[in-house]
Amino acid sequence: MKNIFQPARGTLFPALFFALLSMSIMFIDHRSQLEGVRSSLSVVISPLRYLVSIPSLTGSWVSEWFTLHDRLVNDNRALKHKQKLQNTRLQKMGVLLAENARLRNLLGSSRKVSDVVVVAELLSVDQNPYRQLIEINKGTMDGFVDGQAVIDDDGVMGQIIHTTYNSSTVMLISDPEHAIPVQFIRSGLRSVAFGNGSNDALELRFLPATADIKVGDELVTSGLGGRFPADYPVATIDIITHDKTHGFQTATARPKASLDSSREVLVIKTRDESQVIQ
Amino acid sequence: MIPLNLLVIPLSLMIAFMLIMLPLPEWAQVYRPDWVALILIYWSMALPKRVGLWVAFITGLFLDITQATLLGQHSLALIIITYINLNFYQRIRVMSLSYQALYVMVLLMINQLIVLWVEGILERDPPFMAFVGPPLTGMMIWPWVFIVLRDIRRKANLR
Repeated sequence: MKNIFQPARGTLFPALFFALLSMSIMFIDHRSQLEGVRSSLSVVISPLRYLVSIPSLTGSWVSEWFTLHDRLVNDNRALKHKQKLQNTRLQKMGVLLAENARLRNLLGSSRKVSDVVVVAELLSVDQNPYRQLIEINKGTMDGFVDGQAVIDDDGVMGQIIHTTYNSSTVMLISDPEHAIPVQFIRSGLRSVAFGNGSNDALELRFLPATADIKVGDELVTSGLGGRFPADYPVATIDIITHDKTHGFQTATARPKASLDSSREVLVIKTRDESQVIQ
Repeated sequence: MIPLNLLVIPLSLMIAFMLIMLPLPEWAQVYRPDWVALILIYWSMALPKRVGLWVAFITGLFLDITQATLLGQHSLALIIITYINLNFYQRIRVMSLSYQALYVMVLLMINQLIVLWVEGILERDPPFMAFVGPPLTGMMIWPWVFIVLRDIRRKANLR
Protein backbone atom coordinates (compact mmCIF):
# COMPACT_ATOMS: atom_id res chain seq x y z
CA MET A 1 0.00 0.00 0.00
CA LYS A 2 1.13 3.48 -0.80
CA ASN A 3 1.98 5.62 2.18
CA ILE A 4 0.06 8.88 1.83
CA PHE A 5 1.77 10.64 4.70
CA GLN A 6 5.37 10.77 3.68
CA PRO A 7 7.11 13.52 5.60
CA ALA A 8 9.39 15.67 3.48
CA ARG A 9 12.50 14.81 5.46
CA GLY A 10 15.89 15.54 4.09
CA THR A 11 14.91 18.74 2.33
CA LEU A 12 16.91 20.96 4.69
CA PHE A 13 20.37 20.27 3.30
CA PRO A 14 19.36 20.47 -0.36
CA ALA A 15 17.53 23.70 0.45
CA LEU A 16 20.60 25.14 2.17
CA PHE A 17 22.74 24.03 -0.76
CA PHE A 18 20.49 25.71 -3.33
CA ALA A 19 20.15 28.84 -1.20
CA LEU A 20 23.94 29.15 -0.93
CA LEU A 21 24.27 28.44 -4.65
CA SER A 22 21.86 31.19 -5.61
CA MET A 23 23.50 33.62 -3.21
CA SER A 24 26.91 32.97 -4.72
CA ILE A 25 25.44 33.35 -8.22
CA MET A 26 24.10 36.71 -7.10
CA PHE A 27 27.53 37.81 -5.90
CA ILE A 28 29.17 36.78 -9.15
CA ASP A 29 26.41 38.34 -11.24
CA HIS A 30 26.71 41.58 -9.29
CA ARG A 31 30.28 41.79 -10.56
CA SER A 32 28.68 41.18 -13.97
CA GLN A 33 30.69 38.13 -14.91
CA LEU A 34 27.75 36.01 -15.98
CA GLU A 35 26.85 37.69 -19.27
CA GLY A 36 27.13 34.38 -21.14
CA VAL A 37 24.72 32.55 -18.85
CA ARG A 38 22.32 35.47 -18.95
CA SER A 39 22.21 35.71 -22.71
CA SER A 40 21.91 31.93 -23.24
CA LEU A 41 19.01 31.79 -20.77
CA SER A 42 17.33 34.74 -22.49
CA VAL A 43 17.41 32.86 -25.78
CA VAL A 44 15.10 30.31 -24.15
CA ILE A 45 12.80 33.08 -22.95
CA SER A 46 12.72 35.10 -26.18
CA PRO A 47 10.06 32.99 -27.99
CA LEU A 48 7.77 33.74 -25.04
CA ARG A 49 8.51 37.44 -25.43
CA TYR A 50 7.50 37.26 -29.09
CA LEU A 51 4.33 35.38 -28.13
CA VAL A 52 3.44 38.02 -25.56
CA SER A 53 3.90 40.85 -28.06
CA ILE A 54 1.53 39.21 -30.60
CA PRO A 55 -1.76 40.61 -29.18
CA SER A 56 -0.60 44.22 -29.26
CA LEU A 57 0.92 43.74 -32.73
CA THR A 58 -2.29 42.21 -34.10
CA GLY A 59 -4.23 45.00 -32.38
CA SER A 60 -2.33 47.68 -34.25
CA TRP A 61 -2.50 45.67 -37.46
CA VAL A 62 -6.28 45.32 -37.20
CA SER A 63 -6.76 49.00 -36.46
CA GLU A 64 -4.58 49.86 -39.47
CA TRP A 65 -6.62 47.53 -41.66
CA PHE A 66 -9.95 49.07 -40.68
CA THR A 67 -8.99 52.73 -40.83
CA LEU A 68 -11.43 54.89 -42.76
CA HIS A 69 -10.51 55.75 -46.30
CA ASP A 70 -10.80 59.51 -45.98
CA ARG A 71 -8.75 59.50 -42.82
CA LEU A 72 -6.00 57.71 -44.72
CA VAL A 73 -6.24 60.24 -47.51
CA ASN A 74 -6.03 63.08 -45.00
CA ASP A 75 -3.05 61.50 -43.29
CA ASN A 76 -1.39 60.98 -46.62
CA ARG A 77 -1.91 64.61 -47.61
CA ALA A 78 -0.55 65.88 -44.28
CA LEU A 79 2.47 63.60 -44.55
CA LYS A 80 3.21 64.74 -48.10
CA HIS A 81 3.03 68.35 -46.97
CA LYS A 82 5.38 67.61 -44.09
CA GLN A 83 7.73 65.75 -46.40
CA LYS A 84 7.94 68.78 -48.70
CA LEU A 85 8.70 71.12 -45.81
CA GLN A 86 11.37 68.80 -44.47
CA ASN A 87 12.90 68.33 -47.89
CA THR A 88 13.37 72.07 -48.29
CA ARG A 89 14.96 72.17 -44.86
CA LEU A 90 17.22 69.27 -45.79
CA GLN A 91 18.44 71.09 -48.90
CA LYS A 92 19.74 73.86 -46.72
CA MET A 93 21.09 71.28 -44.30
CA GLY A 94 23.20 69.67 -47.05
CA VAL A 95 24.85 72.96 -47.85
CA LEU A 96 25.44 73.66 -44.18
CA LEU A 97 26.95 70.21 -43.61
CA ALA A 98 29.37 70.69 -46.49
CA GLU A 99 30.30 74.11 -45.19
CA ASN A 100 30.77 72.77 -41.68
CA ALA A 101 33.03 69.99 -42.95
CA ARG A 102 35.10 72.52 -44.95
CA LEU A 103 35.47 74.83 -41.97
CA ARG A 104 36.45 71.94 -39.72
CA ASN A 105 39.04 70.92 -42.26
CA LEU A 106 40.38 74.45 -42.28
CA LEU A 107 40.60 74.41 -38.49
CA GLY A 108 42.32 71.04 -38.63
CA SER A 109 39.90 69.41 -36.23
CA SER A 110 38.41 65.99 -36.77
CA ARG A 111 35.36 65.64 -38.97
CA LYS A 112 31.95 64.78 -37.61
CA VAL A 113 30.82 61.41 -38.84
CA SER A 114 27.17 60.99 -39.63
CA ASP A 115 25.67 58.20 -37.56
CA VAL A 116 24.36 54.94 -38.94
CA VAL A 117 21.03 54.11 -37.33
CA VAL A 118 19.05 50.88 -37.36
CA VAL A 119 15.32 50.69 -36.66
CA ALA A 120 14.23 48.16 -34.05
CA GLU A 121 10.84 47.42 -32.58
CA LEU A 122 9.76 47.26 -28.97
CA LEU A 123 9.16 43.70 -27.80
CA SER A 124 8.20 44.13 -24.18
CA VAL A 125 8.62 46.37 -21.18
CA ASP A 126 10.37 44.73 -18.24
CA GLN A 127 7.94 44.42 -15.38
CA ASN A 128 10.33 45.28 -12.60
CA PRO A 129 8.66 48.24 -10.85
CA TYR A 130 11.92 49.87 -9.77
CA ARG A 131 13.78 49.63 -13.07
CA GLN A 132 13.08 51.22 -16.43
CA LEU A 133 14.07 48.65 -19.01
CA ILE A 134 12.64 47.65 -22.37
CA GLU A 135 13.32 44.79 -24.76
CA ILE A 136 13.78 45.36 -28.48
CA ASN A 137 13.61 42.81 -31.28
CA LYS A 138 17.14 42.96 -32.69
CA GLY A 139 20.43 41.83 -31.22
CA THR A 140 23.95 40.75 -32.06
CA MET A 141 22.64 39.40 -35.39
CA ASP A 142 22.19 43.02 -36.49
CA GLY A 143 25.48 44.12 -35.03
CA PHE A 144 24.21 45.51 -31.75
CA VAL A 145 26.66 45.61 -28.85
CA ASP A 146 26.39 46.77 -25.25
CA GLY A 147 26.59 50.51 -24.81
CA GLN A 148 25.04 51.63 -28.08
CA ALA A 149 22.72 54.62 -27.79
CA VAL A 150 19.00 54.20 -28.47
CA ILE A 151 16.86 57.14 -29.63
CA ASP A 152 13.37 57.69 -30.94
CA ASP A 153 12.27 60.42 -33.32
CA ASP A 154 12.14 63.02 -30.53
CA GLY A 155 15.24 62.38 -28.48
CA VAL A 156 17.52 60.02 -26.60
CA MET A 157 15.81 57.00 -25.00
CA GLY A 158 18.65 55.05 -23.41
CA GLN A 159 21.40 52.57 -24.07
CA ILE A 160 21.74 48.84 -24.71
CA ILE A 161 22.86 46.86 -21.67
CA HIS A 162 22.42 43.20 -22.70
CA THR A 163 22.32 41.63 -26.12
CA THR A 164 21.29 38.19 -27.31
CA TYR A 165 21.34 37.13 -30.91
CA ASN A 166 17.82 38.35 -31.65
CA SER A 167 16.89 40.74 -28.86
CA SER A 168 18.48 43.36 -26.64
CA THR A 169 17.70 45.01 -23.34
CA VAL A 170 17.68 48.80 -23.26
CA MET A 171 18.15 50.78 -20.06
CA LEU A 172 16.08 53.95 -20.40
CA ILE A 173 17.50 57.31 -19.34
CA SER A 174 14.86 57.36 -16.60
CA ASP A 175 16.24 54.23 -14.90
CA PRO A 176 17.45 55.01 -11.36
CA GLU A 177 20.88 53.62 -12.26
CA HIS A 178 21.25 55.67 -15.40
CA ALA A 179 23.09 58.94 -15.83
CA ILE A 180 23.59 60.81 -19.08
CA PRO A 181 26.08 63.63 -19.70
CA VAL A 182 24.17 66.64 -21.02
CA GLN A 183 24.78 70.21 -22.11
CA PHE A 184 22.43 73.22 -22.04
CA ILE A 185 21.97 74.54 -25.57
CA ARG A 186 21.44 78.15 -24.44
CA SER A 187 24.25 78.58 -21.91
CA GLY A 188 26.61 75.77 -22.87
CA LEU A 189 26.68 74.59 -19.25
CA ARG A 190 27.53 70.91 -18.86
CA SER A 191 25.92 68.62 -16.34
CA VAL A 192 24.74 65.07 -15.77
CA ALA A 193 21.07 64.04 -15.81
CA PHE A 194 20.11 61.16 -13.54
CA GLY A 195 17.06 58.99 -13.94
CA ASN A 196 14.80 58.60 -10.91
CA GLY A 197 12.49 55.77 -11.89
CA SER A 198 9.57 57.80 -13.19
CA ASN A 199 9.44 58.17 -16.94
CA ASP A 200 8.63 61.86 -17.07
CA ALA A 201 11.46 63.33 -15.01
CA LEU A 202 15.26 63.42 -15.02
CA GLU A 203 17.20 65.02 -12.18
CA LEU A 204 20.11 67.43 -12.48
CA ARG A 205 21.65 67.50 -9.03
CA PHE A 206 24.14 69.92 -7.50
CA LEU A 207 24.14 72.63 -10.10
CA PRO A 208 26.04 75.71 -8.83
CA ALA A 209 23.70 78.33 -7.34
CA THR A 210 24.93 80.83 -9.90
CA ALA A 211 24.42 78.53 -12.89
CA ASP A 212 22.58 80.17 -15.74
CA ILE A 213 19.50 77.98 -16.16
CA LYS A 214 15.85 78.75 -16.83
CA VAL A 215 12.67 76.74 -17.05
CA GLY A 216 12.29 75.68 -20.68
CA ASP A 217 16.01 75.29 -21.39
CA GLU A 218 16.81 72.51 -23.83
CA LEU A 219 19.32 69.81 -22.95
CA VAL A 220 21.33 67.87 -25.54
CA THR A 221 23.88 65.09 -25.11
CA SER A 222 27.32 66.55 -24.56
CA GLY A 223 29.20 63.56 -25.96
CA LEU A 224 31.46 63.46 -22.89
CA GLY A 225 32.04 60.01 -21.51
CA GLY A 226 31.96 58.50 -24.98
CA ARG A 227 28.71 56.56 -24.59
CA PHE A 228 26.27 58.87 -26.30
CA PRO A 229 27.12 60.74 -29.50
CA ALA A 230 26.97 64.52 -29.06
CA ASP A 231 24.10 66.89 -29.86
CA TYR A 232 21.05 64.65 -29.61
CA PRO A 233 18.11 66.25 -27.77
CA VAL A 234 17.53 64.79 -24.31
CA ALA A 235 15.12 66.82 -22.20
CA THR A 236 13.58 70.20 -21.35
CA ILE A 237 13.99 71.84 -17.95
CA ASP A 238 10.74 71.68 -16.01
CA ILE A 239 11.27 72.71 -12.41
CA ILE A 240 14.19 74.47 -10.71
CA THR A 241 14.59 74.28 -6.93
CA HIS A 242 17.05 76.39 -4.97
CA ASP A 243 18.59 74.71 -1.98
CA LYS A 244 19.36 77.68 0.25
CA THR A 245 21.18 75.69 2.90
CA HIS A 246 23.71 74.10 0.57
CA GLY A 247 24.12 76.74 -2.07
CA PHE A 248 23.15 74.42 -4.88
CA GLN A 249 20.22 74.30 -7.19
CA THR A 250 18.52 71.19 -8.46
CA ALA A 251 16.56 70.96 -11.67
CA THR A 252 14.05 68.47 -13.00
CA ALA A 253 13.84 67.93 -16.73
CA ARG A 254 11.20 66.25 -18.86
CA PRO A 255 12.61 63.76 -21.38
CA LYS A 256 11.90 64.60 -25.02
CA ALA A 257 11.64 61.00 -26.16
CA SER A 258 8.31 59.33 -25.44
CA LEU A 259 9.82 56.74 -23.12
CA ASP A 260 6.58 54.93 -22.39
CA SER A 261 4.91 54.95 -25.78
CA SER A 262 7.45 54.59 -28.59
CA ARG A 263 6.99 51.36 -30.51
CA GLU A 264 9.84 51.93 -32.93
CA VAL A 265 13.26 52.93 -31.72
CA LEU A 266 16.49 53.77 -33.51
CA VAL A 267 19.80 52.31 -32.44
CA ILE A 268 22.90 54.35 -33.30
CA LYS A 269 25.55 51.98 -34.55
CA THR A 270 28.52 54.14 -35.48
CA ARG A 271 30.51 55.18 -32.48
CA ASP A 272 33.54 56.64 -34.14
CA GLU A 273 36.23 57.76 -31.70
CA SER A 274 36.94 60.90 -33.72
CA GLN A 275 33.37 61.93 -33.13
CA VAL A 276 33.54 61.55 -29.39
CA ILE A 277 36.76 63.44 -28.81
CA GLN A 278 36.37 66.75 -30.51
CA MET B 1 11.66 9.09 -20.87
CA ILE B 2 9.49 11.74 -19.29
CA PRO B 3 5.80 10.81 -19.28
CA LEU B 4 3.79 13.14 -21.48
CA ASN B 5 1.33 14.19 -18.82
CA LEU B 6 4.18 15.70 -16.79
CA LEU B 7 4.49 18.34 -19.53
CA VAL B 8 1.55 20.22 -18.03
CA ILE B 9 3.89 21.45 -15.29
CA PRO B 10 6.38 23.28 -17.54
CA LEU B 11 3.47 24.36 -19.75
CA SER B 12 1.63 25.97 -16.84
CA LEU B 13 4.86 27.68 -15.75
CA MET B 14 5.34 29.01 -19.29
CA ILE B 15 1.86 30.52 -19.21
CA ALA B 16 2.74 32.06 -15.85
CA PHE B 17 5.85 33.62 -17.42
CA MET B 18 3.77 35.07 -20.22
CA LEU B 19 1.31 36.55 -17.72
CA ILE B 20 4.27 38.13 -15.92
CA MET B 21 5.63 39.66 -19.12
CA LEU B 22 2.28 40.97 -20.34
CA PRO B 23 2.42 44.76 -20.43
CA LEU B 24 0.21 46.53 -17.88
CA PRO B 25 -0.32 50.25 -17.24
CA GLU B 26 2.18 51.64 -14.77
CA TRP B 27 -0.22 52.03 -11.83
CA ALA B 28 -1.33 48.40 -12.14
CA GLN B 29 2.15 46.92 -12.16
CA VAL B 30 2.54 46.73 -8.39
CA TYR B 31 -0.74 44.81 -8.14
CA ARG B 32 0.30 42.16 -10.66
CA PRO B 33 0.09 38.82 -8.85
CA ASP B 34 3.27 36.79 -8.81
CA TRP B 35 1.93 34.13 -11.19
CA VAL B 36 5.10 32.06 -11.31
CA ALA B 37 5.34 31.81 -7.52
CA LEU B 38 1.63 30.97 -7.26
CA ILE B 39 1.84 28.13 -9.76
CA LEU B 40 5.07 26.85 -8.26
CA ILE B 41 3.43 26.81 -4.81
CA TYR B 42 0.54 24.79 -6.22
CA TRP B 43 2.71 22.16 -7.88
CA SER B 44 5.07 21.75 -4.96
CA MET B 45 2.04 21.33 -2.73
CA ALA B 46 0.29 18.85 -5.01
CA LEU B 47 3.29 16.89 -6.27
CA PRO B 48 6.09 17.45 -3.72
CA LYS B 49 7.94 14.41 -5.02
CA ARG B 50 8.24 15.81 -8.53
CA VAL B 51 8.30 19.57 -8.09
CA GLY B 52 10.86 20.46 -5.49
CA LEU B 53 13.92 22.60 -4.98
CA TRP B 54 15.44 21.88 -8.40
CA VAL B 55 12.41 23.22 -10.21
CA ALA B 56 12.29 26.23 -7.88
CA PHE B 57 15.94 27.01 -8.58
CA ILE B 58 15.66 26.80 -12.38
CA THR B 59 12.36 28.70 -12.46
CA GLY B 60 13.91 31.41 -10.30
CA LEU B 61 16.80 31.81 -12.73
CA PHE B 62 14.39 32.31 -15.63
CA LEU B 63 12.37 34.74 -13.54
CA ASP B 64 15.57 36.72 -12.93
CA ILE B 65 16.14 36.93 -16.66
CA THR B 66 12.65 38.20 -17.42
CA GLN B 67 12.62 40.66 -14.53
CA ALA B 68 16.19 41.87 -15.15
CA THR B 69 17.14 41.27 -11.53
CA LEU B 70 20.37 39.71 -10.30
CA LEU B 71 20.71 36.05 -11.28
CA GLY B 72 19.80 34.07 -8.20
CA GLN B 73 17.62 36.72 -6.58
CA HIS B 74 14.27 35.15 -7.39
CA SER B 75 15.68 31.62 -7.12
CA LEU B 76 16.72 32.27 -3.52
CA ALA B 77 13.21 33.50 -2.70
CA LEU B 78 11.50 30.63 -4.52
CA ILE B 79 13.77 28.04 -2.89
CA ILE B 80 12.92 29.34 0.56
CA ILE B 81 9.15 29.35 -0.01
CA THR B 82 9.32 25.94 -1.67
CA TYR B 83 11.26 24.63 1.30
CA ILE B 84 8.59 25.94 3.67
CA ASN B 85 5.91 24.48 1.44
CA LEU B 86 7.57 21.05 1.28
CA ASN B 87 7.51 20.90 5.05
CA PHE B 88 3.90 21.99 5.48
CA TYR B 89 2.07 20.63 2.44
CA GLN B 90 0.27 17.84 4.27
CA ARG B 91 -1.28 20.27 6.73
CA ILE B 92 -2.14 22.85 4.08
CA ARG B 93 -3.79 20.42 1.66
CA VAL B 94 -6.58 19.62 4.09
CA MET B 95 -7.35 23.25 4.91
CA SER B 96 -10.25 25.13 3.38
CA LEU B 97 -9.50 27.33 0.39
CA SER B 98 -9.73 30.56 2.37
CA TYR B 99 -7.18 29.39 4.95
CA GLN B 100 -4.97 28.17 2.15
CA ALA B 101 -5.18 31.61 0.59
CA LEU B 102 -3.95 33.19 3.82
CA TYR B 103 -1.04 30.76 3.95
CA VAL B 104 -0.22 31.52 0.31
CA MET B 105 -0.22 35.23 1.11
CA VAL B 106 2.34 34.66 3.85
CA LEU B 107 4.52 32.65 1.45
CA LEU B 108 4.24 35.36 -1.22
CA MET B 109 5.17 37.99 1.35
CA ILE B 110 8.29 36.05 2.32
CA ASN B 111 9.09 35.76 -1.38
CA GLN B 112 8.63 39.49 -1.89
CA LEU B 113 10.59 40.30 1.25
CA ILE B 114 13.65 38.38 0.05
CA VAL B 115 13.54 39.86 -3.45
CA LEU B 116 13.16 43.37 -2.08
CA TRP B 117 15.90 42.84 0.52
CA VAL B 118 18.33 42.19 -2.28
CA GLU B 119 17.06 45.30 -4.07
CA GLY B 120 17.64 47.19 -0.83
CA ILE B 121 21.20 45.90 -0.56
CA LEU B 122 21.76 47.19 -4.10
CA GLU B 123 20.50 50.57 -2.85
CA ARG B 124 17.41 50.63 -5.00
CA ASP B 125 14.39 52.01 -3.29
CA PRO B 126 11.32 49.85 -3.98
CA PRO B 127 7.91 51.46 -3.47
CA PHE B 128 5.92 50.21 -0.47
CA MET B 129 3.17 48.78 -2.64
CA ALA B 130 5.72 46.53 -4.35
CA PHE B 131 5.86 44.63 -1.06
CA VAL B 132 2.14 44.53 -0.26
CA GLY B 133 0.54 44.49 -3.71
CA PRO B 134 1.53 41.13 -5.24
CA PRO B 135 0.85 39.06 -2.06
CA LEU B 136 -2.61 40.64 -1.69
CA THR B 137 -3.67 40.04 -5.28
CA GLY B 138 -2.04 36.60 -5.12
CA MET B 139 -4.14 35.74 -2.08
CA MET B 140 -7.33 36.84 -3.82
CA ILE B 141 -6.54 34.83 -6.92
CA TRP B 142 -5.35 31.67 -5.13
CA PRO B 143 -8.72 29.82 -4.96
CA TRP B 144 -9.11 30.10 -8.74
CA VAL B 145 -5.52 29.08 -9.40
CA PHE B 146 -6.00 26.13 -7.09
CA ILE B 147 -9.26 24.93 -8.66
CA VAL B 148 -8.06 25.34 -12.25
CA LEU B 149 -4.75 23.60 -11.63
CA ARG B 150 -6.41 20.83 -9.61
CA ASP B 151 -8.75 20.07 -12.50
CA ILE B 152 -5.82 20.10 -14.91
CA ARG B 153 -3.88 17.80 -12.64
CA ARG B 154 -6.79 15.35 -12.42
CA LYS B 155 -7.31 15.41 -16.19
CA ALA B 156 -3.61 14.74 -16.73
CA ASN B 157 -3.82 11.96 -14.16
CA LEU B 158 -0.86 13.24 -12.16
CA ARG B 159 -0.40 12.20 -8.57
